[in-house]
Amino acid sequence: MLDDLVTKLADTPWSIALHESLYMYAITESTHVMSIMLFVGTIAMVDLRLLGISYTKVPVSQMLSGILPWTIAGFVLLAVTGAMLFLAIPIRTYHSIWFRLKILMILIAAINIAVFTFKVERDKAAWDLGPVPRKSKICAVISLSAWACVIVFGRLIAYNWFDCDSITSPTMAELTGCPLDPG
Amino acid sequence: MSLYHTAQNIEASALGQTIRESTWLFPAIESTHLLALALLGGAILIMSLSILGWGLKTPVAETYKSAHRYFNGAVLVLIITGVLLGISEPVKLYGRQAFWVKMISLAIALIVTYFAFNPLVRRGASGGTVRGVTVLTMVAWLMVAMAGRWIGFS
Repeated sequence: MLDDLVTKLADTPWSIALHESLYMYAITESTHVMSIMLFVGTIAMVDLRLLGISYTKVPVSQMLSGILPWTIAGFVLLAVTGAMLFLAIPIRTYHSIWFRLKILMILIAAINIAVFTFKVERDKAAWDLGPVPRKSKICAVISLSAWACVIVFGRLIAYNWFDCDSITSPTMAELTGCPLDPG
Repeated sequence: MSLYHTAQNIEASALGQTIRESTWLFPAIESTHLLALALLGGAILIMSLSILGWGLKTPVAETYKSAHRYFNGAVLVLIITGVLLGISEPVKLYGRQAFWVKMISLAIALIVTYFAFNPLVRRGASGGTVRGVTVLTMVAWLMVAMAGRWIGFS
C-alpha cells in the first residue's frame, strides 16, 4: 500500500519539479539544515535544564514557556522542508534504512514528549528551581539521544551503501522493503 | 606557491587521503559537525531570543554563564571537524563559491560574537546596540549553516 503511494508520489508533477529544479532542492535542503539549529538547538538547551546541569537559575516553567514555542516553530520548518525533500525523492527515501531509522527515532522522541507533557512536568511547580527529579533527567537523556540520532541518520540518507540495488541479505531486504536481488 | 597549489598539496596528504578513501570517516565527521551545529544554534538562540524580548525573562547575563560554555565547545568541535572535512577535498572547496561565502560569513560571525556580542551580554547591556549586534550575530551564524550545506550543491 505504501509502496503504491510512494510510486504515485514520484509521478506527480510536484515531485518531478522539485527533483529537477536547480535551486529549489538546494534551498529546501539548506533550510532543513539551518532549521536544525532552531529545533534541536533549543530542545537541547531545555533538556540540559531538565538534566539539572545548566541554566539552573532559570525556572523550569519559564524554560518551557519561553523556549518551547521556538522549538515548535523549528519543528514546523523541519517538517515542511522534510516533507518536500521526501516528495522530491520518494521511492529511494522510502526504502532507505536510515530514513526508516530516523522516523523510528522521531516516534520515540514523540512518545517521550507525550510522557513528559502528561506525566513528568505536571508537578513541576515543586521543582521549578530546586533539584530536578530523576524522571525529568530520564526524559532529557532520551530526548537528547533520540534527536542526536535523528540528525545522524538524516545525514546518512544521502549515502547509497544500503540502496535497493546493493542489498543482498534477506534481513536487510525485509527492513528496507527492497526486493532481494538473487545476484 | 599559490593557494590552489596549497590545496593540491593538502589533498595529496596522508590525512586527506585517509578521510577521502574511508567509507565511514567522512560521514562520521560530517555528522559530528552537524551535531555541534545544533548545539551552537541552541546556545546562540537562547541568548538572542531573550535579548530581543521573545524568550526567557531571566537576565541574559545569567543565561550567558551556561550558554557560552556550550557555544565555545560547539565552535571548537565545528572547527576541528570542519578542518578535517576540508583536508579531504580542498581542491573541490577551492572552486566552490559557497565555500568562500561560508568562510567570509564564519569570519564575520566569529568576530561579531567574540568582540561585540559576548562582551555586551556579559555586562548585561541593553538597548538598540545590543539588539542590532544580536540580529547580526544570529543572521551571520544562520548564513554559515546555510552556505555550509550549499557547498554540497554548487
